[in-house]
Amino acid sequence: MDIEIFPHRILGADTTEKLLNDIESLNSVKRTVIQGPRLPPQDAIDRKYGDRRVINVNGEDIELKVKTGRIFVELYEESAIDEIEVICNEHIANGFDINTSRSQYIRKQRTVSDGLKYGENTEIPEELIGLSDQRSQFSENVSIIKKDSIE
Amino acid sequence: MAQFYPGTSQVAQNRRNFCDPEYELEVLREISDEDVVKVLGHRAPGEEYKSVHPPLDEMDEPDDIIRELVEPIDGAKAGDRVRYIQFADSMYFAPAQPFLRARSYVYRYRGIDTGTLSGRQIIEARERDVERISKELLQTEYYDPATSGIRGAGVHGHSLRLDENGMMFDMLRRQVFNKETGKVEMVKDQIGKELDEPVVLGEPLDEETLRAKTTIYRIDGEAYRDDADAVEVLQKIHVTRSNYGYIPK
Repeated sequence: MDIEIFPHRILGADTTEKLLNDIESLNSVKRTVIQGPRLPPQDAIDRKYGDRRVINVNGEDIELKVKTGRIFVELYEESAIDEIEVICNEHIANGFDINTSRSQYIRKQRTVSDGLKYGENTEIPEELIGLSDQRSQFSENVSIIKKDSIE
Repeated sequence: MAQFYPGTSQVAQNRRNFCDPEYELEVLREISDEDVVKVLGHRAPGEEYKSVHPPLDEMDEPDDIIRELVEPIDGAKAGDRVRYIQFADSMYFAPAQPFLRARSYVYRYRGIDTGTLSGRQIIEARERDVERISKELLQTEYYDPATSGIRGAGVHGHSLRLDENGMMFDMLRRQVFNKETGKVEMVKDQIGKELDEPVVLGEPLDEETLRAKTTIYRIDGEAYRDDADAVEVLQKIHVTRSNYGYIPK
């Protein structure tokens, strides 16, 4: 089953890091998605005042690209919700909701967009479906180094 | 005694305070004249005011009883251009909100034009008067660096969740929170043009103060329906307006 953690304020990098580390350490958590507004462009203001940094979750470095507005968690068993609530209480200072009303929060089916992005016949492992950014642009994933010229 | 706003709640009292020109607004921070000019972005600090007509004294005006009765404001006397300042106020317990701003501005200031939308509020006046009014608005309880924004353009954000540090979303990143000093700095002017030096706007008010000073009824603060007096007056206005078009019969 899926749940949605909805903090009453948009979380910063520090809180996100602590929260994800604790959630990921639970055995009953299958996968986690963070969703929210994109971080601002990397410029002088962002370097001085911004909250952009690489966070470390369970030993893996992850570059944050969004501010944490919601966290979707897929669970093996429902009993983990109580443990997650304890974790959230510890880290989220300004209040949060845990929503369980929908049957799923993380997409489980392949979509047409997936087909267009990765190729219609490409096999995507099941656990990766729903984890990609639906609105990402082709140019964000592909670097064209040199254009071929036709002679 | 003038009746500004009904209700027995703290929110209603705050609304009355803002609207009552006799009430002296609490000064919460110091912002210099030069910084106000920088934030507004209409002229460079120290630059002469541009004018659209000669000073009134030098103009040959027709005889008119109203001209004799009404004392012109300083900017009009000098012939300044009309300029503006615009604010966006977060729904999360900002001290002021657009309709209250409009009501209180017309009680407090002369020679202004004010425009209200759901998420932003503009005040227009002659340039030197806008600067004087802006200084007052920024230094007093009208303004909180985190939940109010000085936004000439790109105002989106009043209804979005706040950041963890209490800042309202701003797509142009004009007001930014400095983690080292704990103060909010304005790095761009109100329309988003970068400033040479950031203007320090002071520390954000804490949540408790915001809840005490807010003029916004909220279900998780003071709910409007709990303020029986205010609801009664509103219903009375609604009924008399709907049934009789305000004509008592």
